[in-house]
Amino acid sequence: MSAASATFGGQRTIGLGFSLLIIALYVFLLMPLLTIVGASFTSGMMIEFPPQGFSLKWYHEFLSRKDLVDGLLMSLRVAAITAIVTTTIAMMAALAGQAMAGRMAGWFQLGMTLPLLVPELLTAVGLLFFLYKIGLGKTVLGLQFGHILMAFPYAYVSITAALRQVPSSLEEASSSMGASSWQTFRLVILPLVMPGVAMGAIFAFINSFDLYTISLLLKPIGGNTLPLALFDFLTYEFKPTAAAAATLSILLSLCGVVLVQRLVGLQRAF
Amino acid sequence: MTAKTRLRLLLCIPAIALIFVFMVLPITNMVEMSFRTPGTTDPFGDDYTLMHYTRILGDGYYWSVLARSLLTAALVTVLCLCVSFPIAWHLSRARGLKAVLLYAAIVSPLMTGVLVRNFGWMIVTALNGPLNETLMALGIIERPLRLLFTQGLVVLALVHVFVPFMVLPINNALRNIPESLGEASASMGASRMQVFRDVILPLSFPGIQPGMILVYVLAVAAYVTPALLGGQMVSVMPTLIIGELTGTFQWPFGSALAITLSISTVIVVVTFTMLTWKLMERAKA
Repeated sequence: MSAASATFGGQRTIGLGFSLLIIALYVFLLMPLLTIVGASFTSGMMIEFPPQGFSLKWYHEFLSRKDLVDGLLMSLRVAAITAIVTTTIAMMAALAGQAMAGRMAGWFQLGMTLPLLVPELLTAVGLLFFLYKIGLGKTVLGLQFGHILMAFPYAYVSITAALRQVPSSLEEASSSMGASSWQTFRLVILPLVMPGVAMGAIFAFINSFDLYTISLLLKPIGGNTLPLALFDFLTYEFKPTAAAAATLSILLSLCGVVLVQRLVGLQRAF
Repeated sequence: MTAKTRLRLLLCIPAIALIFVFMVLPITNMVEMSFRTPGTTDPFGDDYTLMHYTRILGDGYYWSVLARSLLTAALVTVLCLCVSFPIAWHLSRARGLKAVLLYAAIVSPLMTGVLVRNFGWMIVTALNGPLNETLMALGIIERPLRLLFTQGLVVLALVHVFVPFMVLPINNALRNIPESLGEASASMGASRMQVFRDVILPLSFPGIQPGMILVYVLAVAAYVTPALLGGQMVSVMPTLIIGELTGTFQWPFGSALAITLSISTVIVVVTFTMLTWKLMERAKA
């Protein structure tokens, strides 16, 4: 392309214009996150960007707010359980999916990713009625089931992709040498797919931590997740404490991005 | 099928149970709920009726909210495509560390919750926020723009939420186009515009179409963004539905609204798929 661009006169201006456009678009993408992080360190009394001075007082303020801290703890707990349960179920389902062939495999794949394809709002409304009907309305357990359902496809897709990389000859070799199915899984397959499993767990955790609509409709009595608590906080008192809470959430997703890069590489994961 | 394979297939039972019990049953249940009579003490009654649907179809207000939802989502989808295509093109040509950093820049917003990202836009577009300050410094506006609780801000924030969903499939499609193809057409005298229009764009369509459908479906049903940034001023179907369910506890009516929205969305998506069928076939050939 470089040889061609030298021959055309206006090409360089187009190239420059394109670079500026790309920079502008990345500014657009990252701007909201950067302003939140910036605003959380202000020493002033208002949410503003650029921040006034530098202080950590709004992080102190965040830690002294019982509603927000309780929300954070609840979110972390629900997300941790979601990650463990979904990863286990998804691992089993991925192993079963691998043994399927043809049209059945396609339908299975579609069914397993259903919670991702149907808008969260519909699932949330349906679950609200259903949980009420089976006596789990407004309970933490009901909320937990909703989160597990929504996070499941992420874990399933990650683990299935990892399983596909394992050559089937390895499994055959292992069983021909007398290993049981469980031994083959435990000693051959699992170590090889571990990065994919870990990535699935990270996606499930982060998805659960960020869920809003499901949590709003399935909200247990007296319990709030961090996004719910943050929404209320933003509606009634618009203070930099919210920026501190949101920064913690951004930090969590950055940790996720770094981990996924180290485990399987962002390019392969997305 | 060997006994071992059969045993292995049994491993999918918990996952199927999860999706069947907590998704298929509840959504079926919601369809049934939309035909229930309104309740007096409970959120729903015991008998069945069509009244909720006739009420929605007979009231201009619901038509206008539905139209606003569908049109807003269409606008968001088109803007999303305009923003995503250059990013995806640039990304598909990047290699090494640069590619990793660009991926991180696109994926980090994706992995941050929608609420947090919307909150970021509240700061950016505040009266004394960076957007107004920049526009005033450039002399484009004289007085700060009031953007909070406007439909414009809702659209802007939704585009931001969905850009990664569009960039990733388009990027994957562009990666499959060999770089030499563009060079070959250029060497045969095609201008950049022609190469783009006749080679790149058609070949990237297998990424564009699913990206647009995904963004549209998600945008129609988006609740958080209009609720937080649109305030009371901008009513869309999702805010109306949640209002019926949590505010006034009209479960049957809320369900009927949700189903009306879903059916309308399916109609739009099917029409779009049929209209773009030819383009898709061309890309495959």
